[in-house]
Amino acid sequence: MIFSELYSAYYNTVAAVLREAVRRPLGKGELRAIVEENAFGESVLNVIPALTGQKWRLLLPDGSTPLENVPTMPKTTLEKRWLKAVCSDPRMRLFSDSLPDYPDVEPLFTQEDFRVFDKYSDGDPYEDENYIKTFRLVLDAVKNKYPLSIEMTGRSGGTTRFTLAPGYLEYSEKDDKFRLIGRGKVYGKTVNLARIVKCEKYGKPFDAPKNESDSEKRDVVFILTDERNALERAMLHFAHFEKEAERLDGGRYRVRVTYRKEDETELVIRVLMFGPMIKAESPDSFVELIKERLIKQKNCGL
Amino acid sequence: MAYSELIKNFNNIRDYMREFYVYGFKSRDEYTKKSARSYDDERRRLESWLGDYMRFRRAPDGKNVFLSIDSRVTRHNPLYKAWKAKSFTDGDVTLHFILFDILDTPEKELTLKELTDRIDDALSAFDGPRTYDASTVRKKLNEYIAEGIVESRKDGRTVYYRRAGDPDGIETDALSFFSEVAPCGVVGSFLLDKEKEKESNFAFKHHYITGAADSEIVCSLFCAMNEKRAVDIEYISRRNGGKTELGLIPLRIMISAQNGRQHLMAYSPRFRRITSYRADNIVSVTPTDVCPDFDALREKLDGMEKNLWGVSTQGFSGKRLEHVEFTVRFDPEEKHIPQRLEREKRCGRVERVGENAARFSADVYDASELIPWIRTFICRITSLEISDKELEARFKSDLDATYALYGLEGDVDE
Repeated sequence: MIFSELYSAYYNTVAAVLREAVRRPLGKGELRAIVEENAFGESVLNVIPALTGQKWRLLLPDGSTPLENVPTMPKTTLEKRWLKAVCSDPRMRLFSDSLPDYPDVEPLFTQEDFRVFDKYSDGDPYEDENYIKTFRLVLDAVKNKYPLSIEMTGRSGGTTRFTLAPGYLEYSEKDDKFRLIGRGKVYGKTVNLARIVKCEKYGKPFDAPKNESDSEKRDVVFILTDERNALERAMLHFAHFEKEAERLDGGRYRVRVTYRKEDETELVIRVLMFGPMIKAESPDSFVELIKERLIKQKNCGL
Repeated sequence: MAYSELIKNFNNIRDYMREFYVYGFKSRDEYTKKSARSYDDERRRLESWLGDYMRFRRAPDGKNVFLSIDSRVTRHNPLYKAWKAKSFTDGDVTLHFILFDILDTPEKELTLKELTDRIDDALSAFDGPRTYDASTVRKKLNEYIAEGIVESRKDGRTVYYRRAGDPDGIETDALSFFSEVAPCGVVGSFLLDKEKEKESNFAFKHHYITGAADSEIVCSLFCAMNEKRAVDIEYISRRNGGKTELGLIPLRIMISAQNGRQHLMAYSPRFRRITSYRADNIVSVTPTDVCPDFDALREKLDGMEKNLWGVSTQGFSGKRLEHVEFTVRFDPEEKHIPQRLEREKRCGRVERVGENAARFSADVYDASELIPWIRTFICRITSLEISDKELEARFKSDLDATYALYGLEGDVDE
């Protein structure tokens, strides 16, 4: 069962408190800091009185505990089943060659038990040895914050070499691709991992520029007419953006979606997916991009 | 009952979470038709768990509360927090930590009597010690045996208890990644909570997090599939709010990377066909009998995939299959367009029609599922034919309506 107190923020918080209290008595300030760090916004109102008031008989009045060991709990069957299931995912090889086995449990699911049915078919080659090697080096560079010297094939087939200060890895389930987001002088900030031909540690100091303009955020506002279940479809479709919806009259809604400038073309296409159920209202530049496509379509003779 | 940050039942909060996150335009009055207090409590809980993402707006009909989350920025799904808010008793939490303090290694085995005595010892440090009777301790141990964290061994009439072994997990980076992309990823999040390093090196684009609310349902369906069992599900109709009980044989979970919905593909013995059911409309799952036909039914579903665009196995026309084909044109420098058709198609075929045009065609169960995708090629569609002529006409009239929305009726020049 997933919904269990064994996995709860409160149990984890109490474990964090006891981890310290088995070593030495805890002061009130320390106790509060641990609860604030591990539990929810209002939890201090419950957890601290329960522990100090000895409703939960785990902490003595001087902040020590009668417990002798740092609290630990073995993995539950559910956790082992989930781990066994994800170990059969081809992407797991990116992280390690030797995977743990859990012989006493069945996997929670197999690759035959589910499908991500609408992801694109040209995903990254997770079983390619060169790709795996690149992935591991890039991840290490992200973790240890060192620059990389990268050789990559461009869209036209030519090769580019550049140095990049890695920031983080970004994965898109729809594209089924990893991208490295970083900062470089010659090349933009996004590098598709599958396009990297060669990658090595850049041994010299590298003064990376900021790429702030690429992350510029913009808002698009559109009017949605709730016909053919468009409201639910659109709200789910745009759910991963920061957004705000407001009800107007006559089954219409005004929706504001915040997106990044570099994703504008994609967003134009996604708005068009909803046909006459969505009308982009602002900004004008976005509306113009929609109109451009519609005008071209009118001249396609359909 | 006094307000508590923790909850006993997940279903109420599941609905509120979805409403606040997916929609977020309803006023308090609309939620309070059933119970004003329930709304206030659930809103307060969500604010406590997800305060950083709560937003408020004044509207003519009152204050609206909504969740606004840019899932490309948040490295861990914030909705998982709701799964970590299960309530418990004072006795539960005390007993849990004392039990595992006593059973500190898998090598240590104790009888129920020995355990109860040791628990009393631990509690004797407190004024007015609380004692746990043997039946309470036995009940808790049995719960933990079911969860796999305690093991028991019988020797004659004596039962010995010990903590279960704890095999290695996977490394933190893999946990961070799979807790976001694998089904029932919340379980990975539970494991991640126990790790020292919680910062993730991964961000996620096009990342739909709403499925988190349906984790228990999907988990129960996976368990049933693993045992090749049929299930009884309670299914809610979003149109009228009515609940139906359905007997099904679950065959596969279909997950959308383009809207985050999770669907169950299942065989209905009553209707004798394979149909899809939205996971967020399933209220409960009860496993029933082992189904001897499971393998044959799954094979049937495998065979259906070549004609399945999304999850629908029946179109509006009532025909078994519908034919769809459309042609797009592109400029010589737009080589990515035929590539787009190839990589985005889920079934069917793409063929070049001359130098600068490509045609997609497919036979599918439900042609209406392709319409949004076909619209993504607006600006280059030169022909469209659908065997369901009503649907074809609607595509074209929708296009005319879209032109009209932007004042583009009549002739326009590029």
